[in-house]
Amino acid sequence: MRQTTLSVALEVKPESFDHLSGLLDALRDRRSPNPSGGTGPFADFLTTVPAVHFMSLSVFPGFDYDPLFVIEANFDGAPGPFWGQLETAIGPDLRSFLRCCKRPLDHTGDLFDAVTAPDSRAPIAPYLEARTLTPTVYHHGNRGMTRDRILAEGELFLGTRKELANANDGGPSPYRKLTPVEIHAKLRAALLPQFGWLAEKAPARIPFLQSVGDYARLAWFVLLVVFALSIPGLILKSQLAWQYYAGLCVALFALFTGILYKMGKPLPGTATPTRFSFLTFFLRHLLVPVVIAVAVYVAIAAFITAPVWSWIGHKPFWPAWWDMAIWAGWSGASIAVTVAGILVWLRWLERRDASQDAPPVDPKMLREMARREDWIPQNHMGSVVLIKPGVLRAILIRVGHHGLHLLLRAQKAARNGYLGSMRTIHFAHWARVNNDSRLMFFSNFDQTWESYLDDFIEKAHAGLTLAWSSGVGFPPTRFLVKDGASHGRQFKEWARHSMTVSRFWYSAYKDLTAEQVERNYRIALGLRKKQLSEKEAAAWINDL
Amino acid sequence: MNALTSRDVLRPGKKGLARWIEGRVFAAMPYAFAFFRRWKPVVKFGGMTLTSRYDDVKQVFATDPVFGAPYKPKLDVIMGGEPFFLGMADTPLYHRDTDAMRMVVLPKDLPELGRRAEAMAEAIVAAAPGRIEVVDTLVRRVTFSVLADYFGVPEPKGGDLRVWGTRLFEFQFADPKGDPALRADVDQIAPALRAHIDAEIAARKATPGRDDVLTRCLALQKKGVPGFSDVEIRTNLMGFIVGGPPQPPMVVPQAMEQLLRRPDALAGAQAAARAGEDDLLWGYVQEAMRFDPLAPGLPRNVLVDGVIARGTSHETPVQAGDTVLAAFASAMMDPRRVTDPARFDPHRPASNYIHFGYDLHQCFGRHINRATLHFMLKPLLKRANVRRAPGGAGRLVKNGPFAESLTVVFD
Repeated sequence: MRQTTLSVALEVKPESFDHLSGLLDALRDRRSPNPSGGTGPFADFLTTVPAVHFMSLSVFPGFDYDPLFVIEANFDGAPGPFWGQLETAIGPDLRSFLRCCKRPLDHTGDLFDAVTAPDSRAPIAPYLEARTLTPTVYHHGNRGMTRDRILAEGELFLGTRKELANANDGGPSPYRKLTPVEIHAKLRAALLPQFGWLAEKAPARIPFLQSVGDYARLAWFVLLVVFALSIPGLILKSQLAWQYYAGLCVALFALFTGILYKMGKPLPGTATPTRFSFLTFFLRHLLVPVVIAVAVYVAIAAFITAPVWSWIGHKPFWPAWWDMAIWAGWSGASIAVTVAGILVWLRWLERRDASQDAPPVDPKMLREMARREDWIPQNHMGSVVLIKPGVLRAILIRVGHHGLHLLLRAQKAARNGYLGSMRTIHFAHWARVNNDSRLMFFSNFDQTWESYLDDFIEKAHAGLTLAWSSGVGFPPTRFLVKDGASHGRQFKEWARHSMTVSRFWYSAYKDLTAEQVERNYRIALGLRKKQLSEKEAAAWINDL
Repeated sequence: MNALTSRDVLRPGKKGLARWIEGRVFAAMPYAFAFFRRWKPVVKFGGMTLTSRYDDVKQVFATDPVFGAPYKPKLDVIMGGEPFFLGMADTPLYHRDTDAMRMVVLPKDLPELGRRAEAMAEAIVAAAPGRIEVVDTLVRRVTFSVLADYFGVPEPKGGDLRVWGTRLFEFQFADPKGDPALRADVDQIAPALRAHIDAEIAARKATPGRDDVLTRCLALQKKGVPGFSDVEIRTNLMGFIVGGPPQPPMVVPQAMEQLLRRPDALAGAQAAARAGEDDLLWGYVQEAMRFDPLAPGLPRNVLVDGVIARGTSHETPVQAGDTVLAAFASAMMDPRRVTDPARFDPHRPASNYIHFGYDLHQCFGRHINRATLHFMLKPLLKRANVRRAPGGAGRLVKNGPFAESLTVVFD
């Protein structure tokens, strides 16, 4: 089943900030006896909102803007049923939260009035639906695992522990003498009566058509980017003979790379130790895909334009196709020049960016955050930052985020829940708010906030910098991915400064890390099979 | 035959072509609702406004100051002018009366009601030689016996509570055109039932009976608790008899019919029944009911000018005096709020179901229904090879909105 990640961001009346914060605290206190949530009456969320994995309700204080109330939700299935379930669970609370918010000035104003009017009984779900933000990037650590499946396989795991611990009946464990294949058979036989679903075929985590869609969208995006980057070449080649065109390209490329060589070095005091080299990365990872993408682009562009050229030039199709392929091919050669030009522009901006060395953090809010963290193996963070101004940044953040989003859906490691070499995120997403002038980030992750960011800084700083370097005050960055988050202390202070208190946070499986979910999945997958080969059993038994 | 002594629970229905057309109209309703949900969620037919989306249906039910329950005029006929909470607006008297009844219809009674329903259904099925008629022989007998016994209303001498209750129910809820013949029956039955309950109250005062709702009412009357005068006790018991037991013989056979149409669902329900997984069995029954609920919708009278779905693209003003039909059958099939509504899923969240209405006039007996309906089918479902009887008898036959007959066989 498809999982959905979304958020609703609503501006709050400044005078209602404290009241709304209090209402959120009251909701949390009513539903949970401990600050992490998840026990006692809070558990009724499991039945009334059976689709939800993680959900949070936060209020960001207003400095540059009025305060922002954000509902972040990660759930199974489509948004409509989820909103209906949420309204059933906490409808009156949601209505009181909305009454603290400002009336939107767009087309949803009338709906807001209907929902927040005194004594209103109008359904809330349509308003939340109308105000839903689509994430620019999201990542699912256990993609395709429904909440019920995670819970069921978690119970199965506990069942295996119980069986392995109690099977000895006072003597040595009977499992000790068995081969992996026999252990599998015995354990399956012992658990099958209690977990009847082991006899059923496991549903596919990512259905075939969904995968096809992921790859097709990424391919289409790459072709569009190649086309966009080749537009200057298309125009110039239509006006210049090839000798002049090639000369111009070579000259411009030499000029841009020369400038980049000079500008690309870090500014004094902003370098971070790194072995990362763009040239090495390009040659190892990008050269072949780029050549393939350009070749496919040339072929497709020629196919699309050939009929028109054939009609205009009174030529047969294939000669027309060949003419178009040559034109597109020349324009493809200009992509390197266009990219180099964009990098010069970007680097020129980056060298003038102001980074914040000591972002102020409200001590009271810091205490509130600390008080809510580290109660369970999972934690939560929400952050909002201003987006740097300018045309290039506006384009790059959109194209970059969309590309990153599509890549995370299609890349093998990311489909398996990994970011870099880490699998510590359950659900995370970025979205733009306040008319696209601020960037919001939410993450539901394992381990402490410190170790979570340390992991990212050490193992995935490039991706982190790419996603966040458009934020005002972000540590000095080169070429979107270098340095940036590698300024560990500065980055963490900047991130903390942008965060708010997770006043209400819900996890449907608070004891399970993303790794444990995968471990449970592998154990269940093995137990669903009637028989394992020796090789399969030897691998499977490692998870027990 | 006189209505008081009649043994025909349902009045003769339409015949021939008219019956066939009626059946086709009911069968086509889900498709019509799907069309309206998509293209015209709030549609006016003359003075009647149909709402078909989940949100709008709930809004109509929840906004009782604008959309009032239309039951009072006919309730006055049945109750002899005495007020019953079903016909009231959101007034202090409404809350006093419903609170009073919650003092005598107690949550602790529910498990026992379920046990009684299951035991009686088991006895009926065990006595059947591999073939049983579900509507009357099984469900109606169980429902009226168990509930009338629980309320403390015995069978009237010379009469049949099943006939009286069902006839009054039809008049109250399923007679939009006001059939004079039905009204004539009601004019006989209603006073007779009132007198019957009055007599039982008097008898109980003289000779207290066992613990049931009537006994508890009289005990509270003795303590001087408001809402328990003789007339108030009688009115509430009548309301329970008229509004309660006639419904399970409609929805439970309809649920059985839906299970019979889906071999996988039937197998799942049977497995749950045999394993004693009663909550899961309830999931199967209420999900089956979603595919053929009690009625397409419930009417509401527009009391003051108002708006349905304000602020949405389909917002529609309504005027005082209009009638709104809140099509809860359609709402439960609305893909905007119900995940994959065409799929049979016994594990849906409770919010997907609006079987018992919503908010102020949500069915008072919903907890009793939750505790008993699935137990009426459980003994039958535990039998092996449950299937339709051969021929027409094996198909659910309806008489207007009422289920009339459905015969199943088993090994």
